[in-house]
Amino acid sequence: MSTSYIERSRGSCALHGALATFGAIEGVVPVIHATSGCGVQYQQGVTQFGGAIPACAAWGNPLSSSNITEKHVVFGGGSRLREQLKNTIKLLQGDLYVVVTGCSTEMVGDDIPAMTKEGREQGWPVIYANTPGFRGSIHRGYELAVHALIEQLPGIPGPELPPEPGLVNLLGIIPQQDPFWQGHLLGLERIFEAAGLTANPLLGLGHGIDRWRRLPQAALTVVTSPWGRDGAQLLEEKYGTPWVELHGIPVGARATGALLDALAERLPVDAARLAAYRQTQESWFERNLVRIAPQYYAGGFQQEFALVGESGFVPGAAEFLVETLGLIPKLIVITDPLAEETRDAWAQPLQSLVDTFKAKLAFAEDAGEIDDLLRASHAELIIGSSLDRPVADELHASFLPVSFPVANRLVLNRGYAGYEGGLAFIEDLGSALLRGRSIKLI
Amino acid sequence: MSAKTAKHIAIYGKGGIGKSTTTSNIAAALAEAGHRVIQIGCDPKSDSTTILRGGNDLPTVLDTLREHSKVKLEDISLVGFKNILCIEAGGPVPGVGCAGRGITAAVELLRELHLFEQYEADYVLYDVLGDVVCGGFAVPIRDGLAQRAYVVTSSDFMAIFAANNLFKAVAKYAPSGGARLGGVIANGLIAPYAKRLVDDFVDRTGTHVVGYVPRSLVVNQSELYGKTVIEAAPETDQAEIYRGLARHIVENEEVTIPRPLNGPELKAWAREWGDRIFSVEAGEIREQEAI
Ligand SMILES: Nc1ncnc2c1ncn2[C@@H]1O[C@H](COP(=O)(O)OP(=O)(O)O)[C@@H](O)[C@H]1O
Ligand SMILES: [Mg+2]
Repeated sequence: MSTSYIERSRGSCALHGALATFGAIEGVVPVIHATSGCGVQYQQGVTQFGGAIPACAAWGNPLSSSNITEKHVVFGGGSRLREQLKNTIKLLQGDLYVVVTGCSTEMVGDDIPAMTKEGREQGWPVIYANTPGFRGSIHRGYELAVHALIEQLPGIPGPELPPEPGLVNLLGIIPQQDPFWQGHLLGLERIFEAAGLTANPLLGLGHGIDRWRRLPQAALTVVTSPWGRDGAQLLEEKYGTPWVELHGIPVGARATGALLDALAERLPVDAARLAAYRQTQESWFERNLVRIAPQYYAGGFQQEFALVGESGFVPGAAEFLVETLGLIPKLIVITDPLAEETRDAWAQPLQSLVDTFKAKLAFAEDAGEIDDLLRASHAELIIGSSLDRPVADELHASFLPVSFPVANRLVLNRGYAGYEGGLAFIEDLGSALLRGRSIKLI
Repeated sequence: MSAKTAKHIAIYGKGGIGKSTTTSNIAAALAEAGHRVIQIGCDPKSDSTTILRGGNDLPTVLDTLREHSKVKLEDISLVGFKNILCIEAGGPVPGVGCAGRGITAAVELLRELHLFEQYEADYVLYDVLGDVVCGGFAVPIRDGLAQRAYVVTSSDFMAIFAANNLFKAVAKYAPSGGARLGGVIANGLIAPYAKRLVDDFVDRTGTHVVGYVPRSLVVNQSELYGKTVIEAAPETDQAEIYRGLARHIVENEEVTIPRPLNGPELKAWAREWGDRIFSVEAGEIREQEAI
């Protein structure tokens, strides 16, 4: 069954994860060392369905690729890469160049560390990440990119940066694979700022490699998906930075409050200021909930839902839907390829909710399997990816696409993290539920 | 495959075991007997056909492919002893690139150039680097190119290990149209136990030895003249042995699918032989009979 659904993959390979990550840092120029299709697939596939694109994929911003051919496979692609790197540095302005590799060049064993070292000896700011697709999913590519930056950026000369007190690194949000990546980062930034801290989002508009140079200064790393762990552990090893793991981004008032508590526990924050902020936000949030009451009841919001998405979003979203909005869970599917132990750990906070409502919790990547689960759930509302739309139509269920790939939404800075994010989620959800309604004059 | 159906034969074996020497002498003996022969070196060392062409220069297929987009058969072949067409696939500089893919690319090019049809060969011999190190080196036995494979081995464990690996590749690809095994060529056996060890190995793996080629100074001498034994010392016993191998290849077309030993079996087998050899060396048991 699974083989017939291969084209409906919910994620690309490691190379594309690295490209999405490096591309989301301003001034970083990725140089792909692979066959031409690797870059083309990224630009025409991943960038279409993952919300706002990172800078490197922007129109008019060419993606540099060595486009190797059989000759380079047989004899090694080192000289082709050297040439490509030289030309890229001439043509594309950047603060940092990163060689990322595809399957073919890794199979051949091109010596990328040596090539980039050669470049650095000429004064070029160049590092590398070995990211052949066979190393894993797009998530693994994010990990590899983060790892490469933490390990290699200190070797690139840069400006002395004044310390930023209360700095908190954010890891775990994967550009494009999370279509709301930019908005989620912005939402978290806002929360930290309110707590008197400074978020170090590392990715997104306005953030360049200086953000990464500040990594060692941070007092804490906050990880919002299992894919941020590897980087957080490395930072702990190298700089002794402690880290905390959230089970996904906080959606709405409850989870955001819990995050603020966790921060206050670990970092010296102004307790009075924090309490005041919480109070204002919570009351504002509550009052907004009251404002939707007429539509909530008339529109029959209290529906049985299925939620399909990644570990960085699903737990927070599920909790919000059930605890805050009073919807009824039937099926929760986590789609990113988590290790067995991680699955258990991530199932745990969802357990009571699943037990109470006799809902089903599944870990599945295969679209066919997910289709079957959705059908069996008889959900009235499906919150998932555009791949889940046909089954939603089949079930006459309301449908809201939030997970990669998202085909029919334009996402820029929208996100569901924090207080405002919770309200945005309600708006989107409500719009999905009210989609079939027409005006009847009384 | 061609107007005159050529017999494609691949000869494998560990590096330095005597593949090129043996293959070239077989080619020379076949040519001497009136057959049209092509020998293709599938080894990045690119010295397979040296003693067939008196050491004359021959650009490799891959070097030519690297320099020119359009390659002609004349650019990559040389007519050697008794009209044997010599070709070297070539390969990358050691440590870079992918020699396995190189072999694949070279063989593809030869097919595109219709080499086998054009030259109307009776025999095409592939001299292939031993260990079946990756898929690329299995190309001659995999894609229905060669019908028969032979393996050159001595009594050294590493040579046997490589032979066993080849058996694995043959056993894997034979059911889907790949080559089968013609047999084992035992080369340069010296140690008193060597013949018995090789014989025991072929017994265990359901194969057989098609010829024992003794270690001989004539081989080294001929090599220094840039010639095969067939050319340089046609009257010698050694030349006769190579002719015998060539005859065997012409006359015996039966092939087998070998039963390679798995890891633990091979290890146990080697241990057993280690013990027996040690007994001989220690003089505990009378030589020869002991084994
Ligand atoms: N039967 C033999 N007697 C003496 N020398 C031999 C014999 N077979 C091979 N050699 C020598 O061993 C060396 C390696 O042989 P070669 O055919 O080049 O090995 P391969 O092609 O397997 O790497 C050569 O110098 C060759 O002359
Ligand atoms: Mg050789």
